[in-house]
Amino acid sequence: MIDKIAFLFAEGLKNFFRNKLTNFLCILTILINFTILGYFFVVGFNTDGLVNFFRSKYTFEVFLDDKVNSEQSDKITAELESNSLISSIVLIDKDRSAEIFLEEFGEDIVVMLGYNPLPVSLKVMLEKDKFNLNTVNNLIAEIGNYDFVDSVEYRGDYIQEIEKKINLFIFFFLIFIIAMIFISIQMISNTIKLSMTNRSDFIEILQYNGASNMFIKIPFFIESALQSIIGSFIAFLLVNYSFILINSYFNLNMQIDKFLWVWMIGLSLVVSIYASSRAMKKIL
Amino acid sequence: MVDFKNITYNYSKNSGIYNIDLSIQDNEFCFLVGPTGSGKSTLLKLLYFDLFADKGVVNLMGYSSSKIKQKNIHKARKKIGVIFQDYKLLKQRTVYENIALPLHINGVGRKKITNLVSEALELTELSRYARKFPNELSGGEQQRVCIARAIVKNPNLILADEPTGNLDPTAAHRILKILEQINKEGTCVIMATHNYKLIAEKPYRVIELDQGRVVSE
Repeated sequence: MIDKIAFLFAEGLKNFFRNKLTNFLCILTILINFTILGYFFVVGFNTDGLVNFFRSKYTFEVFLDDKVNSEQSDKITAELESNSLISSIVLIDKDRSAEIFLEEFGEDIVVMLGYNPLPVSLKVMLEKDKFNLNTVNNLIAEIGNYDFVDSVEYRGDYIQEIEKKINLFIFFFLIFIIAMIFISIQMISNTIKLSMTNRSDFIEILQYNGASNMFIKIPFFIESALQSIIGSFIAFLLVNYSFILINSYFNLNMQIDKFLWVWMIGLSLVVSIYASSRAMKKIL
Repeated sequence: MVDFKNITYNYSKNSGIYNIDLSIQDNEFCFLVGPTGSGKSTLLKLLYFDLFADKGVVNLMGYSSSKIKQKNIHKARKKIGVIFQDYKLLKQRTVYENIALPLHINGVGRKKITNLVSEALELTELSRYARKFPNELSGGEQQRVCIARAIVKNPNLILADEPTGNLDPTAAHRILKILEQINKEGTCVIMATHNYKLIAEKPYRVIELDQGRVVSE
């Protein structure tokens, strides 16, 4: 049995080195497809971070009347904190507002005007998981009617719009990935068919000498696994190093999944073994 | 060993074999003779399950053409050695590798393969060509490689389809001599040929076919 397995592996390796042109074409096909897939996966991986970034902006600010005292503002804060849509609240009093003004504009408003015109405000952070624009709009309308509330500022519409666009991108991205995998299967399958047609004499001789279909298939599977490992590994190197270059050249912080090489090689193995078994089914 | 029961196989209208009834015993040496297109090769193809009869049943060493499943054909073929007129050798492999192929298929160990291939090479007088490639050999030598490949797995039956068709008379006689020797050692041999001269004085059974029918035995 061990001799038989060794023979089949040796056959697969021999075939791989004998059919240089066919193998080169197959590796090139895998390389091109998986490089494109790899780029899209890295971009897709980073859109998740982008969504989280926008979600972190799910806040609104409640500006209180000038007449409000600390007891009243604490009461409003406590009331808002009891709402399950709200995750936390930061109270920004008049002094803190002046400090923020100084940090952002470099001018001390109290010195400039001789008094502090900035209102007391509450920065309200929303629960990301429970976020729903309609519910938040209702909440804002409700808060607007509270005593001592002057105005509420919220840019949720824009964030929601951006998130919709990101989701649309992810949808098209998934369609593209499926299409790329389908194209890969088709191209690898055709290359294997070509390779098997070239070796129809060999297959015929094996069959006349009593080889089972599995015995004939195994060397082709090994050959196809080698093609996919080589093709996808080079694709991984290309994707990985080009993102390192892009990050340093454009001063970006695109994250690369540390298991990128595992799924690229794994997926290419699955794709090529499926493609070759499909091709062989039609011939054997 | 082999039973043809009322076998009919049609390629197209007026081409094929019709209502063949034949029985061939173990250890028998048997010639199938007849002109080109008489149905000799078709009979052999039906024997190694390359073709299946439209009517009737072929029984071969416990396998029946009407019952055998596609996935089990290789099991029957492991017991048969086939010799072709066009040799069907792997050009990129040495004589040794070509002969060893059926043994690898049968899962024989490496040491045993070396011994069995050496024996087959000796029997076919090819020992000195072991490391050569088929293209470096003459037609007769290539046919001997094909015979060595067929006998190396010690089959119960050898099917030879016009094995001397492309050879000069001397090479043809040599091939026939090797096949006779194999038969003496207990293997049933069925050889298709249209070379009447070659088999003229041989003491074996001759089945003559014409237009797909057995005309004499």
